[in-house]
Order: sequence, then C-alpha cells, then structure tokens
Amino acid sequence: MRDVAIVGVGMHPWGKFDDKPLTLMCREAVGAALSDAGVAWNEIEAISAGSSRFSGGFGWGLNGNEIAMDIGLTGVPVYNLSAGCATGGSALSVGHMLVASGQADTVLVVAGEKMPRGFLPTSGSEGDATDLQYLQWACAGMTGPAFWAMLTHRRMVDYGTTEQQLARVAVKAHKNAAHNPNARYRQEFTLEDVLNSAVVSYPLRLYEVCPVSDGAAAVVLCSAEEARKRTTKPVWIAASVVATGQPGDGIPRGVSALTTDGRAHHSEVTAAVRKAFATAGVAPSDVDLVELQDNTVYYELAFPEEWGLCEPGQAEWLLERGETEPTGKMPINPSGGFLCFGEATTAMGVFEVCELAWQLRGEAGARQVPDAKVALGQTIGLGANGTAVILKR
Amino acid sequence: MTTSTTSRPIVEGVFTDTAAGPRLIGTRCRACGTPHFPRSPVCRTPACNSADVEDVHLGPHGVLWSFTIQHYKPPAPMRFDDPFVPYGIGLVDLPEGLRVLTMMSAPDPAALKIGMPMELVIEPLYHDDHGNAVTTWKFRAAPAQVKRG
Repeated sequence: MRDVAIVGVGMHPWGKFDDKPLTLMCREAVGAALSDAGVAWNEIEAISAGSSRFSGGFGWGLNGNEIAMDIGLTGVPVYNLSAGCATGGSALSVGHMLVASGQADTVLVVAGEKMPRGFLPTSGSEGDATDLQYLQWACAGMTGPAFWAMLTHRRMVDYGTTEQQLARVAVKAHKNAAHNPNARYRQEFTLEDVLNSAVVSYPLRLYEVCPVSDGAAAVVLCSAEEARKRTTKPVWIAASVVATGQPGDGIPRGVSALTTDGRAHHSEVTAAVRKAFATAGVAPSDVDLVELQDNTVYYELAFPEEWGLCEPGQAEWLLERGETEPTGKMPINPSGGFLCFGEATTAMGVFEVCELAWQLRGEAGARQVPDAKVALGQTIGLGANGTAVILKR
Repeated sequence: MTTSTTSRPIVEGVFTDTAAGPRLIGTRCRACGTPHFPRSPVCRTPACNSADVEDVHLGPHGVLWSFTIQHYKPPAPMRFDDPFVPYGIGLVDLPEGLRVLTMMSAPDPAALKIGMPMELVIEPLYHDDHGNAVTTWKFRAAPAQVKRG
C-alpha cells in the first residue's frame, strides 16, 4: 500500500443557511480544498462522497454525483458512502484506499449536509416488530438525547461525575470555538450559563447537547509522489479505519443489550481506534490532539477512557486541570467540536479531518495545539458504525 | 350514538399479558443459551449463529441500570396524548442477562433511583383518534415485598 497525504482542506462555515443550496455550500468547500491543494478540478481522478441523510443527492444519497454535475462532469468514478453519523469518516477511508491501492493519485473526499430544524425524527416502519428503530423510538419512547442522558446518568453513579463537571466540558468547548471562524456558536459561556440552560433529558442540558447545523467540508488526497510536487506541508494519513460493533457493549442498539460485563462501551469505535493505533504504529500516549464526536459532553469524558488515552474515571480530573484544553496534555476538540458547530451529520468526519490538518500544519491560530505532530479523529454512526483516522505531519 | 373503547398493543409479538402477569417475548438460543429481545430467528452471538432458538418470556423483574427524564415531546412519528407530560425512560437489567430499553410507568419518574428493583407492566402509551388505548411495555419501581430471583 502507498503512503497517502492530505494536500488540501476546505470548509464551508457551519450554521443555518436556509436560502443557500447544498450544492453551492459543497462547491465552496471543494473550491477551498482545491485552492488549498493547488489542484485543478480536472486533476481529480476519483470522488469519495458522503451520502447526505436529509438533503440533496437527488433523494438517493448521490451527493458525490450531484457535486460532480454541479462543478462539471469529468468522467471520474464517484463513490457515495452511507454510514449514519460516521459517513464522513467512511468517505475518507474509501478515498484513502483509492490512493493507497494505486487506483488513483489524486482524490477528492467531500461531504455536506443541511439539517432539518429541531430534534431529529426517526424512520421506522409502523407496527413492524423486527424494526429496531421503530421499537426504540415509537414503542419505547427513546430519543437521541435520552440515550446519551442514560449513559451520562450512569457515569455519575459509577464515577461521581457532577453536573458542574458536565457543564465544564461545554464551557471548554465554547472557549475554543470563540477562536474558530467556521464555528456556528462562538460566544463563550460561563459555568452558570450552561447550568442555567434548559434540561433536555436529565442530567443533560441544552448547551451540553449538540445542535443540528448545515455544513460542508472537503479534502484532497494525493499519493506521496504527487504530494511532494504540491506542498511542503503534507499531512499524512497514518491510518483510516472503519469498523462495526459487536455484541456485549451493554448499550442497546435496538431495545436490548447483552449485559456481558455490565459496562457500557462502544465496540465499533474502540475497534476502529485500536486498529488505527496498530496500523499507524502509534500508542495512545503519542496522540497530541483528538477531534471526537461530542454529540454530548458525556463522550468527551467516556471516549478517551474507552480508547486508553486515560484511565477509567480519570477524565474529569484531566478536565478540571485544563489538560483537555489546546495547551493541556490531552487536548480534545480544539475546534469547539459538535457542541459549537452543531452536527451536520454526514459531513462531520470530513470536518474533523480539516481541523486536524490545520492543527498539524500549525495554522489553527489562537486554538492551536502547540507543536502538534500526531492527531486522532473519530466518528460513530447509526447501524453500529465507527471510524478512526490518525494523521501525522 | 355510543362508542366503546378498547386497548391494543402498539406492536404484536413483543410483549404479552399472561395469566402470571406481563412478560416480554424474546428468544433463547438452544445451543449457547444467549437471550434476545425482541425475538430473533437466529442466535446473534457470532461464534454460535445457531438457528435453533426457542421463544421465551422475559421478566417481570429487573434492576434499574440507568434512566433519564424526557422533558420535551419527541417529534412524529412518536405519539403521545396531549398535553404532553415528561416521562421517564430507562434501561433495566433482567436476570436473564439482558439490559432492556423501556419507558417508565407514570406518574412520578423523579422518584426513580439507579439500582432500585423494577417490575414490568403493560400500560397505555397514547390514545388513538377513536379513544382506544395503544399499549406498550413499561417498568415501574417494584413494591418492597416482591421477592426477586
């Protein structure tokens, strides 16, 4: 397999853009990535795109084709990937494989999404006893925030996590986002602001749960040989991994889970992250920063422990000592994360890679992690999908 | 004109009212003993994957592993009676080896505590346009005198 470099990244700001078509948002993100890479549109040899859940793609998830038709068809292969909220990470992995395997020298990875307002509805076919989404939502009354809230509440019992500590994760996120021009919510919050926000699903409050946003991001991948011609600051993909879950997580993916060891964990993500570490030859202690999927503050505490970045129950201690800030020992989400961007579901894996590339190139301004050399990105999506990417400069 | 209202389950084959009380309907693998809820035509344990499974009744007793209070009305297609009343939703560990997702029985979700014994009930989720109760499975705090095991 060949080495693969990221030579260009581009992001449309995250927010609500009611009057702007998704195609235009994606065109701007692609344009920024091509310009950053110094690559012309007709030099792209393949496109790996995220299939949007809520927008565009002719209703068939053909977002890569839609983007190609919008900018101008060049006859290249287009792959549309669908993996729930892990879609962006999945698209990156396929783009990586296309270059690593030698099928293409220069590949565009792109994903964009425009989200409906408010709390997400679900699918599910009525009265179908085999439809796990229907059973979860319509029959058992579950919502996304309720699911995260149950995990969080259990953590409070197991580790003594306090509501103040949960709020502190959101305060830290907004402190970072204040320095990020692409973030949707850039105002700083005090602990009181977060604790005074409405309770959505106890113990989680409004500012502790990610909103939904519109957004689009793109990256250009090259073989090592091409990358050397294009840039003096390549960012190398040391591993890009997709995994799915296994029984025994203790977290119902339908309406029940095996209580094998009583713990709650996310095997699809753990498997992806552990394989990424092994593939990249990187130890958890080598990671300089992480962009992880903080649908809620809980994940910023639980995921680093599940991946071996810190010991179980240690996350709050690190948080309170500022170690998860950009200047700390274990910087998490210097971008501001999903909490401040809002989730444009299928685009988030590509969004993370843009931020990590800026960090590794030393171009992240006031949110820069000093001397960042190794970075980890992660997504988790419906259907027990998990992805992990390790980037190096 | 008079109308009579009845009650019906929101979904068939997932829970049932037996002579002994309410039960969830699942399967157990005859080869390796793994339980599944809802019913599964095969054992989903990767090392087993046997098609030799039998229907079993699960519950009614369990222990509350975690819960939350759902404060906002979830969007359609989920249905609730108006006016919307916040409800509890939790995960209950059954002695059969399953952690089950479940709504909490009304009316006081705030009285719940992680680790408390629970028992299964079948109760209305909402009333349809004709006033008929549409039921689902829920759990409630078990009375102290109930022996579990």
